[in-house]
Amino acid sequence: MQAQDILAGLEKAVITGNRADSIKFAKDSLDAGVKALDAIDKGLVKGMTIVGDKYAKHEYFLPQVLLAANAMYGGLDILLPHIPTEDAGKKVIGVIGVVEGDVHDIGKNIVKTMLTAAGLDMHDFGKDVPVENFVNSVKSEKASLIAMSTLMTPTMDGMKAVVDGLIENGDRMKVKIIIGGAPTSQPFADDIGADWHAINAQEAVKKVKGAM
Amino acid sequence: MADTMNHLERCVAALTNQPVDRIPAYPIACGVCRRVVGDGTMLYRDWCSDPKKFAQGFIAGQKYFDFDFTIGLMDLSVMAGDMGAHVRMDEQNTPFVDDPVIKGPEDYEKIQVPDVTKGRSGVLIEGTKLFVDALKNETITAGFLEGPLLVLTQAASAEKVFMDMYNNRSAVHKALATITEYDKEMIKGMAGAKPAGLVWDYLWGSYSCLGDAEYDEFEGQQKYAGSLNEMTAKEGMAFCVHNCADLPHLDTQIKKMKPAIYSMAYYPLIPGSPSPKETIENGFADNCLVAGQIDPQGFVRWSQEKMQRTTMNLCQEVKTALCARGLNSRYVVASGCEVPPSVTTRLENIKECVDTVKQYGQVKC
Repeated sequence: MQAQDILAGLEKAVITGNRADSIKFAKDSLDAGVKALDAIDKGLVKGMTIVGDKYAKHEYFLPQVLLAANAMYGGLDILLPHIPTEDAGKKVIGVIGVVEGDVHDIGKNIVKTMLTAAGLDMHDFGKDVPVENFVNSVKSEKASLIAMSTLMTPTMDGMKAVVDGLIENGDRMKVKIIIGGAPTSQPFADDIGADWHAINAQEAVKKVKGAM
Repeated sequence: MADTMNHLERCVAALTNQPVDRIPAYPIACGVCRRVVGDGTMLYRDWCSDPKKFAQGFIAGQKYFDFDFTIGLMDLSVMAGDMGAHVRMDEQNTPFVDDPVIKGPEDYEKIQVPDVTKGRSGVLIEGTKLFVDALKNETITAGFLEGPLLVLTQAASAEKVFMDMYNNRSAVHKALATITEYDKEMIKGMAGAKPAGLVWDYLWGSYSCLGDAEYDEFEGQQKYAGSLNEMTAKEGMAFCVHNCADLPHLDTQIKKMKPAIYSMAYYPLIPGSPSPKETIENGFADNCLVAGQIDPQGFVRWSQEKMQRTTMNLCQEVKTALCARGLNSRYVVASGCEVPPSVTTRLENIKECVDTVKQYGQVKC
């Protein structure tokens, strides 16, 4: 199979949410000598970008986006170990999670997927994440970006606690902070001292890529 | 300006598009009302686990805030919890499912309809009966239930359900059929409580989440929401819908389902989120009492002055739009989503919202 066909296969696997095909074409790409980074950028990421555009236009909805993300990660699992260490080291590291007291993580997962597709090395802290995990992430994960979300009002204060914690431990200036989730807003981000608020994954990517 | 209609007269007039002395007001203040019971120390977990305390909250809230409606929303983990999901309780905030009961594809078929007289389902039904008995001659009362897809996403996690809509379609439908039967048992229980209406939370009807085809297949169709909506009316309760999502399926949930009341939120930052003016202009209040659309965050974060200003602006926007549409009423100033039940919610903002509507909500076309 030609490299071009393999890349098209990866792209299509993501667009159609077919994880098995994504894994198959990822293996094919390695067998055919396609560089892992090319397979990711010109196959998986290209497909995920199209999915993101379709979601923004309401041509795709959450089920299709989640299936596409699942397919992308299937391929990434195969390809990432084959990226040369020097290339992997150039990536911006971000941590992402739903703040403590909240378990609504669909939005967080989509943002993680789109930031990954945008070239960041995203470390997923999951949901119901204790404040100290975010606060310590500059040291523990070498994070340059912290992305936090919540869907619930009472847990919004956890975001402020993270910013305050970063100021206290001296790491605030080493990291950018972006927040999201239905009850949040840019004025709230400004209030707590975060850098950005994003209303959706596309905006998050735009803001993060523009600055980092 | 002094009210010239009582709560029931005003709400019935608004429901039937008759002239009202003012727009009705109902910030969806439910769990937060426990804070005006007695010395104000009732814990959320006690409020949502004891029918008497649940009812006390609404009764005390009515006395303190003077609402036009009373709607018995508990939280969205009641039914999933009674099906076996683990619910993390909190002393002062909304509980949530932290360990789903449906973890693998085989689990969709294992869920069963629980005994609705027990667990928090029983608390909800019994508590609703108690507050309806106490308030039915004062306000329009309604029970509050979770739609089948909402219950399933609580029981299994939304991400899992959405992916299984394609990966395990028949299993998802089997679970939805079981939950619809559970909802029917809940309707029977609620009918015994005799509220004037029953509100269904159909929050997945949102274009941020599902398209028309998926929403129709997995909730909107006759065998799920359709049959529940019909049964609600047959049991003598006005069928109502609550949807706090950002891009609600208004054509389906208002024009097709034809609820008596539709409660909705407004997200000004989300392109396409319908504003109060647009909602009325586009005919969604023609045959339905629309309730919204003050940001529930405002009850926590705004000053009292900002709440007053926002409520005044909403009243003006709504009155202008109603008059332009040739409507007498058909709008309730509400909060779109529940007023956060936490201790940081400013009770004075709830009161300010209601009092401002009393002062500035007169519709004179």
